[in-house]
Amino acid sequence: MSEPVIEISGLQNCLGGQWVHTDVNLKVEKGEIIAIIGGSGSGKTTILRSLLMLLKPTGGSVKVFGEEVTTLSGNKANEVRRRWGMMFQHSALFSTMTVLENITFPMREFTTLEPKFMEELAMLKIALVGLPKEAASKYPSELSGGMQRRAAAARALAMDPELLFLDEPTTGLDPRSARLFDELVVFLRDSLNLTVVMISHDIESMKHCADRVAFIGEGKILSIAPIEELMKNPHPLIIDYFSKI
Amino acid sequence: MANPNFTFDTETNCYLCEGSWSVLKLDDLLGKIDFSTLPEEKTIKINGEPLIKFDSSGALALRNCLDQLKSKNKEVELINFNKQQLDLLKLVEKDRDSLIYKAPPVTERPFLYRLGKETVNKIEQADGFIILLGDLSSKFFEALGYWRRFQLPSIVSNLYSAGVQALPIVALLAFLIGVVLAYQMGLQLQTYGANIFIAYLSGMAIFREFAPLITAIIVAGRTSSAFTAQLGSMKINEEIDALNTMGLSPTELLVMPKVVALLFVFPLLIFWADVFGIIGAMIMSKWMLGVGYIDYLARLKDSVGLKQMMLGLYKAPAFALIIALVGCFQGFQVEPKGATIGIQTTKSVVQALFLIIVADAIYSIIYSRMGI
Repeated sequence: MSEPVIEISGLQNCLGGQWVHTDVNLKVEKGEIIAIIGGSGSGKTTILRSLLMLLKPTGGSVKVFGEEVTTLSGNKANEVRRRWGMMFQHSALFSTMTVLENITFPMREFTTLEPKFMEELAMLKIALVGLPKEAASKYPSELSGGMQRRAAAARALAMDPELLFLDEPTTGLDPRSARLFDELVVFLRDSLNLTVVMISHDIESMKHCADRVAFIGEGKILSIAPIEELMKNPHPLIIDYFSKI
Repeated sequence: MANPNFTFDTETNCYLCEGSWSVLKLDDLLGKIDFSTLPEEKTIKINGEPLIKFDSSGALALRNCLDQLKSKNKEVELINFNKQQLDLLKLVEKDRDSLIYKAPPVTERPFLYRLGKETVNKIEQADGFIILLGDLSSKFFEALGYWRRFQLPSIVSNLYSAGVQALPIVALLAFLIGVVLAYQMGLQLQTYGANIFIAYLSGMAIFREFAPLITAIIVAGRTSSAFTAQLGSMKINEEIDALNTMGLSPTELLVMPKVVALLFVFPLLIFWADVFGIIGAMIMSKWMLGVGYIDYLARLKDSVGLKQMMLGLYKAPAFALIIALVGCFQGFQVEPKGATIGIQTTKSVVQALFLIIVADAIYSIIYSRMGI
């Protein structure tokens, strides 16, 4: 087995005088779909932000593609950044660009591809995430919430990343769109050989697509297992989390 | 990682896909391939063995290669591609039609259409402005009967941000304008030896025009834009809608405190600017023309006097209303979906300045009619 795509060990985060994480350990292998769950305020997004170099952890080590990202800077950091894609909770599409421009934007910045080729490539991503062709020339504000998510996913895939981060991808979508999105995630993993890390509250979604689910509580990962197994875990926090379903 | 390459290997008699066919490395690979000299055989083999990396952009590039070859009536056979690479290629092949991007046709509207649309647009804006003014007036008079509705804390915080925090910059700019004015006038007066008239000239100019205008420009830049940005982000955040659904009036809660605060603080700011403008002029007069401070102030009192200063201060309510209302109105114009705060903020400052100068001109006409 090759080295893990993500390796977090002993991660500590202290935000605003409060310990969010005391000891987080997580390993993600290539090709896996990992979901991170936990109660509100348990630090799910903070893990993602530490991974994405948006937040410098208080302590511990975070390795992505074998590189220690906590100390990475400059060109090295940008090289790593180009190998992943992130889909933000509220899409974070650039509002002044059309969907197509949003997707070609990173290509225009980083490559010297021909404009026509870039358009084709962007249209491929649009087709891949299941957006209709007409959506390409629309502005994000003209799209519905579900379509914005898809467009955001397409932008995250623009540079053919090896690693995809999703922050609550199905929250706020209707059940059907949510299931379609789950299928999309699995399809992308299979066809593009992606590794996916997602934060989710959607149990259905985890049942459908997550290989393993990591439960965060008390500042660390309490358990990491497939969802059915996790639901049988006797830890009080986990029982509490699933008790109202 | 190695650069991608597409070369013909004479030994094995097939094309080799080499290096990493990935989006970061691909560059203009297709443009570099020479399709004019092809081997004789009917079937061309493409070997994928030397590939290091092959992503969806690589698949798309390979598909375009295949298209080129097929258009030259050649059969193509892919060898030594692994399953995943072939899957990617299939994926690209599958949605062939949907990959062609057609930009929507830009419809050029006729001139009359645009003129009409712009007219309607402007009329609607004026309409909205008048509605806001009317709403504000009715809320104001209702509130007069019940003083609690004046939102005192909000008024005080606006007084602080629009008034107190503006004091340093108003003082500095008024002082500099005073210096500049005295200098320019002094140059002329000196040639006639009429040095002492500097007090009259600069005093008149500062009291009646410069102090009110400079104050208005600063406040329009600082406060009108701040109002727009504040209300605009509240609108995007659906806070305005939240107030409406609670049966509360955004005009009363958000606009009125700002208008009242600005109405109150504006004359004070003009007076502040008067003081510093005169100080600037006074220092320049002493330095350049040798007019002493005592002489200057005595002359200012005799020949200019309080009456001229009041004529400047009378402009305050009009300017304050313009700035507060334009700022708030443009804030309400922000559209939650389009993220237009930037545009509306610019508009609010430009419109406020425009209206201030128009109002100033109207004041001049009125004063000249009254013969003062």
